[in-house]
Amino acid sequence: MVNSLPIEFYSAFLSDVAKERKPSPIRGLYPLELRPGVISLLAGKPNATTFPFTSVKLTSRSPTDPSKEIETEVSGLALAEGLQYGPTAGLSSLLEWVHGLQEREHGRRKGEGWRVSIGSGSQDVIYKAVATMVNPGDAVLIECPAYAGVLPMFQALHCDLTEVDTDAQGIKSSSLRSILQNWPESKPRPKVLYTVPYGCNPTGMTATLDRRREVLALAREYNFIILEDDPYYFLYYGDAARYPSYFALELEQAEVGRVLRFDSLSKILSSGIRIGFASGPEPLLQAIDMHTAVANLQTPSLTQAIAFSLLDAWGYDGFKAHTETVSRFYREKRDVFEGAMRRHLTGLAEWTAPEAGMFFWFKLLLAKDGEEGDSESLIRTKAYERGVLALPGTVFLPRGGKTAYVRASFSLLGEEEVEEAVKRLRETILEARGV
Amino acid sequence: MQFNIRNSTSSDEELTMQLTDEELHVGLQYSLTNGLPALREWMFGLLERAHGRHKGEGWTITVGAGSQDMIFKGVNALMNPGDAILVEAPVYAGTLTIFQALDAEMIEVETDGHGICSDKMREILENWPSSKPKPKFFYTVPYGSNPTGSTATLERRLDVLALSREHDFFILEDDPYYNLYFGPSNRPPSYFALERDQPEVGRVLRFDSLSKTMSSGLRVGFASGPEPILKVMDLHSMAVNLQPSSFSQMIVLKVLSTWGYDGFTAHAARVAQFYREKRDVFEAAMQRHLAGLAEWVSPEAGMFFWFKLLLNEQGSEHGEGEAEGDSEYIIRTTALERGVLALPGAAFYPNPRKTPYVRASFSLLPEDQVDEALRRLRAVVLEARATSKQARSSEPEVMLTCLASASPGVGTQESK
Repeated sequence: MVNSLPIEFYSAFLSDVAKERKPSPIRGLYPLELRPGVISLLAGKPNATTFPFTSVKLTSRSPTDPSKEIETEVSGLALAEGLQYGPTAGLSSLLEWVHGLQEREHGRRKGEGWRVSIGSGSQDVIYKAVATMVNPGDAVLIECPAYAGVLPMFQALHCDLTEVDTDAQGIKSSSLRSILQNWPESKPRPKVLYTVPYGCNPTGMTATLDRRREVLALAREYNFIILEDDPYYFLYYGDAARYPSYFALELEQAEVGRVLRFDSLSKILSSGIRIGFASGPEPLLQAIDMHTAVANLQTPSLTQAIAFSLLDAWGYDGFKAHTETVSRFYREKRDVFEGAMRRHLTGLAEWTAPEAGMFFWFKLLLAKDGEEGDSESLIRTKAYERGVLALPGTVFLPRGGKTAYVRASFSLLGEEEVEEAVKRLRETILEARGV
Repeated sequence: MQFNIRNSTSSDEELTMQLTDEELHVGLQYSLTNGLPALREWMFGLLERAHGRHKGEGWTITVGAGSQDMIFKGVNALMNPGDAILVEAPVYAGTLTIFQALDAEMIEVETDGHGICSDKMREILENWPSSKPKPKFFYTVPYGSNPTGSTATLERRLDVLALSREHDFFILEDDPYYNLYFGPSNRPPSYFALERDQPEVGRVLRFDSLSKTMSSGLRVGFASGPEPILKVMDLHSMAVNLQPSSFSQMIVLKVLSTWGYDGFTAHAARVAQFYREKRDVFEAAMQRHLAGLAEWVSPEAGMFFWFKLLLNEQGSEHGEGEAEGDSEYIIRTTALERGVLALPGAAFYPNPRKTPYVRASFSLLPEDQVDEALRRLRAVVLEARATSKQARSSEPEVMLTCLASASPGVGTQESK
């Protein structure tokens, strides 16, 4: 029997905005529609017969045999559902499928104090989760370097970002522990930790099992929620067996309910379709849904219906097979990129090979007299002049600052372009070193 | 990927659309924050045709994940928590939640059968306390308002525009029913069009929706207006949800560019005609069953009837305000018992009040069910009249409480 934290536990975690949200008086009436024989004039739904669409057909590569194509069709009731306003948390068919996926992947069973909400991409639900828990000015724990895309949402809330170091084993739980142990007594403790556990963007690092366990223990000890942003979970291609997620590992704890997990379909199905999902404690998901009801009503029904028809046709095994194909693809890309790095940047840069995701994070060895140097000016001027662009590491530092690190994405370029890009980078570094 | 659509001019014919590899690729990838360039381009053309606004004249377009997404961001771009704003009353309940979340001080501006009462607005603005910052914007649904179904007349619109200049506030023109207008053919132009005749443009932020004409499940809507405001809204998008679905946008673009502007107009006209017929059916049933028992103005756009239940036998002339009764109580008790549900009007007022009004949606029900629903409503009103003199016990309070607690707020979306 899983011991879930009680609903009351979360009231201390909700932001003022989330607490003030009132359920819509209108939606309170909808349950009444279910009474048999009632004719309802409530729903402000357009009549779907006025919509032009009559069917949607999708062709996709078979996940198990890429030479075969699978045809899926969304029509009839499923299409009608896809064209109409739908539930705030997502279409029930897709929600059901995701619950099943989470049970298979993370061993979390439905009905044990957690549930899922579909978002318009995982960014959408991450933002709402943050707004649901964090008040303006609150202290927030964030791994450093961190995914640059989440920084604006914390900045918009004027958060006091407390950086937690990372290294090749992922988040440094020892650093986290020392931050928490030395937390000033007068300062309210952080309510959340943001981390990308697999193939962190930008570092490409994956947190080890020990680190994960220690972070979970700290979450219990110091009472914070782990925001597990895991878009590269399915893009793990390391040699070692994959580690369980925080969401899975918290089952080892005395009670569950301190992990809010975010999954994305952007890297495995399509980024343009904008579908992601949040899984976690019911009271937090409820608060996220109430935000959705105000801000954008729902994730598009049609993209959900299309995604569901595809996932349903593939089945869990097909989906898994597809993700393995995708992660192999990125592994090969990584190998190509690393080959070029070795040829051209040995001695000029330092890196650890990523085991998930699509980024190389490396330190330019610009050093003169112990100074590490700043990649930003180099990238924006010299590298650009030489016709190569990468992201200066500073954009991934929650609190800004100079760094010699650079992020290079290896997801798109062909082998020859990689070779040329890294060669140009070599020239840039050599020039900067004054060789 | 391939999909079938009905031809815009005849619902019997079907067209098959096939996304090219390139189109599919664009639909599956991340795209720009403010929308697919080709879709924005198409929309520029549509707005030029419909509202006479030319590209490059200080305004721009952003594509949103439905118009609610754009309204939410527009409101957040313009106001601070606690600011005073002008809101038509009654008003679309879905935007009230946005204002409430920002703790807005909502100043209600009355509406009637001719839309917004601009004279009331003038009165409010002229008596505005000098110590208090003026309202930043006015929110209105000018065609087929939700819930009232009324459309603002040209005169009223011009008045409001003049006031917005005089008192320096923005007009948030939320216009999801623009294409669902089925009233007299000399329809008034939009605020967005009318402001061209003002000494300067830039006080109208317009919101268009495809939810009623293409599909509400696609979640594609548009904001059009002054560039600096849309820029701020785009920054908001970058932080919160990056962009509307490229996939949805590509499907929309494919249909719209295949149809062309004439095809779209023809399709919209057919949809409006559909709702006009639904309205007629509904109104005929209203006349049969509710004449003398309810008061209404026939809607000229949209999909709602807004009517006052005459719960006291003397009729509406006797007693105003709370003496007219409370539709909420009636709906949750006698109406439910008799098997008919409509939305109590109170949900559409910015500030809490009792009201005898209800909103009925006529978009979905077939004729026989409309007839039966209104027959039941008749019985409800008659029963309420019979008991109107009895003092009401505290029962309703108890019932409301338990209904509220049984509905934590996740259900089918209230839509526009």
